[in-house]
Amino acid sequence: MEMIIGGAFQGKEKLARKMYPGLVWVYAKDASWEEICSSGGVIGFHDYIRRLVEEERDTSSLAADLIRENPDIILVSDEVGYGVVPIERTDRIYREAVGRVCTSLASYSTRVTRVVCGIGNTIKG
Amino acid sequence: MMILVTGGSGSGKSAYAEMRMSECRSLRKLYIATMYPYDSESHERIRRHRIMRSGRGFETVEKYTDIGSLVIPPSSSALLECMSNLTANEMFMEGGAGDETVECISKGILKLRNQLENLVVVTNEIFSESGKYLGDTRKYQKYLGEINTFLADAADEVYEVVYGIPVPIKRREV
Repeated sequence: MEMIIGGAFQGKEKLARKMYPGLVWVYAKDASWEEICSSGGVIGFHDYIRRLVEEERDTSSLAADLIRENPDIILVSDEVGYGVVPIERTDRIYREAVGRVCTSLASYSTRVTRVVCGIGNTIKG
Repeated sequence: MMILVTGGSGSGKSAYAEMRMSECRSLRKLYIATMYPYDSESHERIRRHRIMRSGRGFETVEKYTDIGSLVIPPSSSALLECMSNLTANEMFMEGGAGDETVECISKGILKLRNQLENLVVVTNEIFSESGKYLGDTRKYQKYLGEINTFLADAADEVYEVVYGIPVPIKRREV
C-alpha cells in the first residue's frame, strides 16, 4: 500500500498517474466498496469516508478492512484537518474520521508522498 | 529540552508526543490538560486521551488558564496538551487573559520550561482552509499563529505530525 496525500487542488491525481502508469484507478466519490477493493488505485479516497459519514456508518474498521481486502492499493486522498473546528457536527465527524483512518493506513503503507504545489515529497519510505 | 508538536486534527500528534515523553527519564511525568469539558464531544475526547495515557505513569494536572502559575515539583517533565484549547480558554473564558493572551501564554511557557527537565507542547494547525473567518475566529487564528511562532522559536525541536508520521520542521543543531 502507498499513499499520496495533500491539500485540495495540489496536483495529487496528476502526480499519481505519472508515478503509477497503467494502474487501474477508480474515483471514490462514486465507486462501490467492491470496485475499490478490486482497483489498483483510488482517487479522492476522502470522498469515500465522507459518504460513509453522511450515511451515519461507522468508519472505525475501514482501515483494517481495506488492508485486508486490497493491501497493495494506491490511495490518493485530501488532507482536511488544517482548519478551525467546523460548526456542523457531520463536518467534525468527517474531519476526525479522515485523520484516524488515514493515520492507520499511513502506518501500514510502505510509502507516503505528500504533494504541495504539484511537487511530491516522500515523508515515509 | 523543549519539543513542539504540531499538525492537523486527528493526525496522531498526541501519540507522537506521548512517545517522546516515554523517552524522558524524569522522576515525575506531568500531563497538563487544558481542555475544558464543556460538552459531550469534549468529554468523549478527554475520555479517549485518558485511555491512551493510562499505564504510562502520567500525573494529570488540569489547568485551563494561567499556566505560568503552576508550581512544578523538582525532577519533572511535562506534556502540555493542547495549545489550541489553552488559547481559546485565555481568550474566551471568564478570568482569562483576553487581549493579553499571546503575552500571557508566552511568558507562562517560559516559566514552565525553566522549571522542567523536558517540556513537550502539542499545538494545532488551523491556518490552511478555504473558509473566510471574521471577528473572534480570525483573531483566534492570529493569536494561535503568533503563539506557535513563539513556541517554535523557544523549542529545541519542532515536528509536524502528518497521519502519524513525524516530519521534522526544526532540529537542534548538533
